[in-house]
Amino acid sequence: MSIFANKSEKIFIYLFFAIGLFIPLFLEGNTFYINKFSTIIILAIFVMSLDYLVGRTGLITLGHAMFYGLGGYIFTILAPEYEAVNFWVYTFYVMLISGFIALIVGLIVLRTSGIYMIMITLALAQMTFYFFADSIEYGGQDGLFIYIKPETSIFGLSFLDLDNETHFYYLCLLSLFNCFVFFKIIMNSSFGRVIDALKENPDRATALGYNIFHFRLIAYVLASSLAAYAGYLFALQFGFVNPSMMSWDVSATALVMALLGGLGSIYGAIIGSFVYEGLHYFIEHLTEYWMFFMGALIIVLVLTLKYGMAGFLNNLSGGKRS
Amino acid sequence: MSQTILEAENLCKFWGGLKALNELNIEFKDKQLHSIVGPNGAGKSTLLNTLCGAYPATSGVILYHGKPITHLKGYEFCRTGIGRSFQKTNIFHNATCLENCCIAAQQRIGGSFNLFRKRSTNRKIAEIARSALEQVGLGARADTKATEVSYGEQRQLEIAMVLATAPKVLLLDEPMAGMGHEESQTIISLLKELKKQYCIVLVEHDMDAVFELSDLMTVMVDGQHLITDTVDNIRNNPLVQDAYLGNDDEVF
Repeated sequence: MSIFANKSEKIFIYLFFAIGLFIPLFLEGNTFYINKFSTIIILAIFVMSLDYLVGRTGLITLGHAMFYGLGGYIFTILAPEYEAVNFWVYTFYVMLISGFIALIVGLIVLRTSGIYMIMITLALAQMTFYFFADSIEYGGQDGLFIYIKPETSIFGLSFLDLDNETHFYYLCLLSLFNCFVFFKIIMNSSFGRVIDALKENPDRATALGYNIFHFRLIAYVLASSLAAYAGYLFALQFGFVNPSMMSWDVSATALVMALLGGLGSIYGAIIGSFVYEGLHYFIEHLTEYWMFFMGALIIVLVLTLKYGMAGFLNNLSGGKRS
Repeated sequence: MSQTILEAENLCKFWGGLKALNELNIEFKDKQLHSIVGPNGAGKSTLLNTLCGAYPATSGVILYHGKPITHLKGYEFCRTGIGRSFQKTNIFHNATCLENCCIAAQQRIGGSFNLFRKRSTNRKIAEIARSALEQVGLGARADTKATEVSYGEQRQLEIAMVLATAPKVLLLDEPMAGMGHEESQTIISLLKELKKQYCIVLVEHDMDAVFELSDLMTVMVDGQHLITDTVDNIRNNPLVQDAYLGNDDEVF
């Protein structure tokens, strides 16, 4: 059994990463587009973590951007201002600390479900947003700057220079790939079996002897720390963090992307992010009223494609829905 | 005499002012099929739901092998050995029949917190699941999706899932609900086999089935225990006839 759920997923993933690997060669140092792709890939990691939470675990949150923002802030606050730190070490710190925060937050929010969980995650995210927006120490609305990017050596060997756009692009692509593989592995695992069960029928899962709270908590912590990792990459790319990263519309937009891609399909998160950002880019150039047309288009897409883009691709390849 | 496995002492479950279970005393013995009957609203389902931990009891004690388990959380009841099936088919529709039973079996075998081990590599779980399916006669349906099997088979699957949790006590809530005559016969012969191994508590509206299967019967009225006796004695008991056909117009 392969890790792929169906044929269209396999084809998409192979194609996407093959094209992804070679695209910088065609762009020949056009840093604008390379940066653009990096940004969308980072976004895709964030959307993927949300897709896992909403689509696989059935936990609907409107506060996921909180961890996205925290990922950036944790790094910026922890790292010394004028010294290059190690990227991998700080990846570990960022994910560990955000995971710990997610554990505490999860203990609170996972006591609720449905609309109540949406409201309470939103409330917590907005609290965090205003905490950073009003703080003097952390730069308020302007946020904080990252003056020196981390170095990426492992045992003294360094392959990536984060100041180089192409290098950074490959780091993002590798991260997205790892993220995808990670989610596929945990979905196919024994843990994933329980997650599938409690998403479909939490009462029955409880009757079978599972403490569903523990499983939800683990899923929440995993998804949140990966969201923080995405936020950390975002901060590194742009060299600053500010509170707008964790504003509620970031969560909502990510939710739209996940929906567009096909909720719970994981690889749909990649499609959703690229389609959304692609549409955004093109429509923005055509008209002033891009938001209006974008909204209309999304409504049409969501209504016509029941299982999102991933479901559409699956139908095209003649596969059964899984 | 077989041994008492599960008992309730002065068990109460109130919904606001409604006394769904009122000072109920009852005991269930091993390798017996003990059915609970009574008019609609007598509290039969509430009793099952309280015994399996789905509803916390308002007061009273539930004893399992003589030890109180009333304080346990809902999910812990299953782990102690109390398995329950649902009145409304409550299965994982998107999964295959085998997978449904695997979910049930995995709880007992463990490894549920293992993020990286492929679920399909655990042979032991698959074995338990398969034998549970075979026990209820669904062996041939292992790889069929649960939505795609017939209604009667879904009810069988429902029982297979409970069996896969390796229970000592089976709480069965109307396993024959909505079934045709032939499908009911399948379940009846299944239950005849199962009662040789398990303590079964059966709530069922199909009185023919109840009379055929039961070793002991309990009649409940208005959340209270009316009488517990053998099938023949219950049949001829005037109190029971009164409860069913008497002053209330409640007829089965």
